[in-house]
Amino acid sequence: MRRLLKKASRHFLYLHPWQLVIAILGITLGVAVVISIDLALESALHTFKQTTQALSGKASYRIIASDGGLDEKLYTHLRVGQGVQNLSPVVNGYVHSTAITAKTFKLVGIDPLIENTFQSAWRQDNKTGNNLRLITEPNTVLISRQTAQSMQLQIGDSFPVTTDTGRHILKIINWLPENNARELFAHLLITDISTAQELFGVLGKLSTIDVVLAHDPAATIQRIRQALPANVLLMPLNEQAESLRQMTQAFSLNLTALGMLSLLMGMFLIYNTVSFLVIQRRLLFGSLRSIGVTRQQICRLIIEEALLLAMIGTVLGILLGIILGHSLLPLISGTINALYFPVDHSVLKLSPLQIGKGCLLGIATTLLAVLVPAWEAYRLPPHRLLLRSELESGVRRFIQSAAWLAVLFIFLGLSLVLLTGNNISMGLAGIFLMLFGFALLTPQVSFVLMTMLERLLARSPSVLVRLPVRMVKAEISRTGCAIATLMIVVAATIGMDLMIGSFRQTVSEWVKISLPADLYVSLSGNMQASHKSAADHLLKQRLAKLNEVEMLSSVLRTQLFRGHTRNKVSVFEINEKSRQGFIFKQQSHEIWTAFNHQNSIFVTEPYAYHHGLELGDNILLRTAQGEQAFAIIAIYADYSGDQGHLAMSRNNYLRYWPDLGFSGIGIYAKEGSNMIQLEARVKQLLQPYQTVKSEQAIYQLSMQLFEQTFRITETLRWLAGMIAFLGVFSALMAIQFERTRQLGILRAIGMTSGQLSWLISIETGLMGLIAGLFAVPVGFIMAYLFIFVVYLRSFGWTLAFYFNAGVVFQGFMLALVAAVLAAVLPALKMAHTKPADALRNE
Amino acid sequence: MIKKSAIEISQLCKYYLESGRQHVIFKDLSLSVTAGEFIVLLGRSGSGKSTLLNLISGLDPPSKGHIEVNDIHLCELTEQQRTIFRRHHIGFVFQAYNLIPTLTVAENVLLALELIHAISDYDRDQVVSLLTQLDLADCLDAYPDRLSGGEQQRVAIARALIHNPDIILADEPTGNLDIDTGKQVLALLENLVRKAGKTLIMATHSEEVTGKADRVFVIKNKALTWVTDKR
Ligand SMILES: Nc1ncnc2c1ncn2[C@@H]1O[C@H](COP(=O)(O)OP(=O)(O)O)[C@@H](O)[C@H]1O
Ligand SMILES: [Mg+2]
Repeated sequence: MRRLLKKASRHFLYLHPWQLVIAILGITLGVAVVISIDLALESALHTFKQTTQALSGKASYRIIASDGGLDEKLYTHLRVGQGVQNLSPVVNGYVHSTAITAKTFKLVGIDPLIENTFQSAWRQDNKTGNNLRLITEPNTVLISRQTAQSMQLQIGDSFPVTTDTGRHILKIINWLPENNARELFAHLLITDISTAQELFGVLGKLSTIDVVLAHDPAATIQRIRQALPANVLLMPLNEQAESLRQMTQAFSLNLTALGMLSLLMGMFLIYNTVSFLVIQRRLLFGSLRSIGVTRQQICRLIIEEALLLAMIGTVLGILLGIILGHSLLPLISGTINALYFPVDHSVLKLSPLQIGKGCLLGIATTLLAVLVPAWEAYRLPPHRLLLRSELESGVRRFIQSAAWLAVLFIFLGLSLVLLTGNNISMGLAGIFLMLFGFALLTPQVSFVLMTMLERLLARSPSVLVRLPVRMVKAEISRTGCAIATLMIVVAATIGMDLMIGSFRQTVSEWVKISLPADLYVSLSGNMQASHKSAADHLLKQRLAKLNEVEMLSSVLRTQLFRGHTRNKVSVFEINEKSRQGFIFKQQSHEIWTAFNHQNSIFVTEPYAYHHGLELGDNILLRTAQGEQAFAIIAIYADYSGDQGHLAMSRNNYLRYWPDLGFSGIGIYAKEGSNMIQLEARVKQLLQPYQTVKSEQAIYQLSMQLFEQTFRITETLRWLAGMIAFLGVFSALMAIQFERTRQLGILRAIGMTSGQLSWLISIETGLMGLIAGLFAVPVGFIMAYLFIFVVYLRSFGWTLAFYFNAGVVFQGFMLALVAAVLAAVLPALKMAHTKPADALRNE
Repeated sequence: MIKKSAIEISQLCKYYLESGRQHVIFKDLSLSVTAGEFIVLLGRSGSGKSTLLNLISGLDPPSKGHIEVNDIHLCELTEQQRTIFRRHHIGFVFQAYNLIPTLTVAENVLLALELIHAISDYDRDQVVSLLTQLDLADCLDAYPDRLSGGEQQRVAIARALIHNPDIILADEPTGNLDIDTGKQVLALLENLVRKAGKTLIMATHSEEVTGKADRVFVIKNKALTWVTDKR
């Protein structure tokens, strides 16, 4: 019996292979997008963790300082003076090689004599004897065999690299050990402390000191902490990794939300297909029921089929997800690099947990989508031929209840958004709930709109005009679902475009305002470098002496400790013009005098948001003399990062911290100066690693960076859109294919295939029109929520809402065009079907 | 008196390819029908009655041979031209009624007219009067699936007649109806067609009708066999 049952329904499925393919595709794409985002995100973060681990080995703590760097003497003091063991001093930085291909290496200087207790990856082979040459011979390095071979280098060969201090020749004396961290090692050079110090010009300084706590950790921690100056910290390593993960949390959440949107679209697709498969087989199921097959058996059959589809789709989805993950990884790493912290050369990493998650998602989504169709099949009466109209009148009640449910969802979603304070996840969940609500509301909205249109057309005697409207209305369970899917994609498109547009506009205006100078000199360079400060000051004096220069401003971007966290600080030297470069969100009176002469500070908007700070609050910063309080006197707009930073005057800074030179100098030219000439003259004063750029060039670069950080969002959005359109296409096409017979009748009574194509196009066009019309307000609500809920909560940015009629029009057209396009295939098929065959169908 | 010829079929062949094998339905079939004739086609299910009606109406092109309807050579027409031909010359009544479920009774009938010309209030009056004649005055604005089978088939008859075609093709019009209703519908159809002097070709099993037909044919062994001729 069961075998027969299966055979009967399988045969049907064989006859409709494209519907199966589309259902599988829905699952595949949905799972693939979610998996790929998860994979790429986790891999990027994992790389960071792995790098840390491979280099630090068993070290569990790290001694760090603000940008002034650690004094080498501290190491000696701890080791000899305090008798702390298992310390590993490290000097690291980046060097560029142009041998064969341009490459950036992370160069890590260590002490090869250090105890083996660290067991870091590079130390795993015990031929330390050989590595001693790192100390005895200057400019010698270890490199991975593969990398060297790709650069056509052997042990004993030398190759040139450049750093801030100029060009250096490095000699390979040995390979890095081969182990599972191979990809990490591909861009790694190991050398000894003094070589590294020389390469980076940081004589007498260390980057960090790694610590292994062997026995009695508490006492050791205590001892170390007491020996450290106030501006040096002992940090647990995993805490550092954790804080980086938290930093990217908002970013991750937003990507994941986009992934879920894709999955939701995939779910629509599955729902559409499976419910079609049920409706189309209602005759078959009816006859099966009449020969004694039970409801449960039919239900089980459908669920089994769905599970089979889910399994195939999920497996394919995971495979596709891995491929997709590979292409997303550079985009995600790039954004993390640009916005948060450096992640070196990530490699995609798969964990069984992630695969399990993918499987669960695929199967759960499918089952959820199949719930309603399975129920429809369950209530199918035996033998009696269910009329389409009966089915539809039941559906009409159903969409009415759905509309009530929709209102409830929208209301719940809105409450969730409004009542959850700063919680990003809850905000996103609320938005999803609302979106889902709007989707549920769509069939009812479509029905009402079509009824109104019908009334309007009632005056015309023409039947042909009324026919498409009736067709949309009569099969509202199918058409409504297709319209809902289309509406959601288009609304999401409009919402995101408005949001990104508003963001772009806001950033653009902010960048313009915050670039009051004419030229900007960038003085990047290692802050710990002993020569930097003096060199910078010399350069500044020379710039000031140039004829065309009216005045200068400067900034030093550094990091200071607030409690146990490092905070970015911009140290400004400001003139009358550069004061215009701030967009203040809140400020107290007379800020400029206070800024220069009192212990006061500005904070950026994201910083204030994330730390819950207000005007007048005090911020405690660590100085060599202990903690100092700085009063917040202004909160200003800044869109350069989502963690935010502090700003203080150079006067203030120099009172407590060492002079580290400048990160940038702004040049204000006299009226009527020739900028190109000035730029050329400034350039002559600069070192090769220093640059000068015009204010326009920086503006363009900033906007490029902006677009780059949105590339991942755009990519994911297109993916979600693609899935949704696939769903819309399949739903619209299925509606037409199911109607083959009806269209055959129209042909039989004398309608040409051209007229029929028109009819189909007008019907799908109407559906597109409804979707487009409804998508506009929903898209607006989406944009509003994205800007004022998601972005504020995620990044602490307040953006201005910029309306763009073009975006709305585009979205509307998108709906219309997509719908009409979906008519092409059925119309072509009808044109190629002989009317006699169309009539035979059923 | 020599009557005008309505349908001329000669050496008609029709075959289908079914899983690679040729399946012959008609071979060298010939038939000549004069205008105003009432012809009944008999034959077992699957013998090709529907296929023949489809060929005459241009719904299906022949594999070989000639079909001439009202001096129009169907084989020389394109698909598009056949459709236009059908629109003007053919009224079709199907076994399964085949009304458009999303249109009301009146609209179903009006549609056949609108395919020929833009419709006016006059056309609507025509439709109402024909439907009233068919005893359907009460269900002008009802949707087909609210109607009984007999009522639906009467609507289908109205649709087949409203545009005043010369030839009515009926494919087992009583096949889905009970005997009494079937009789009524048949009587109505015959009556209307005769009165208007139209040609009627009907595929049916009904004994009743065979008596009223001018000629009766049976499709057997891929050809037409003549049974009775009352002319
Ligand atoms: N499109 C087609 N493809 C294959 N076989 C067909 C097709 N149309 C009709 N047939 C076959 O032609 C034969 C005649 O069918 P039909 O004209 O419907 O018979 P009737 O109306 O007398 O019952 C049947 O055997 C049927 O299977
Ligand atoms: Mg038949």
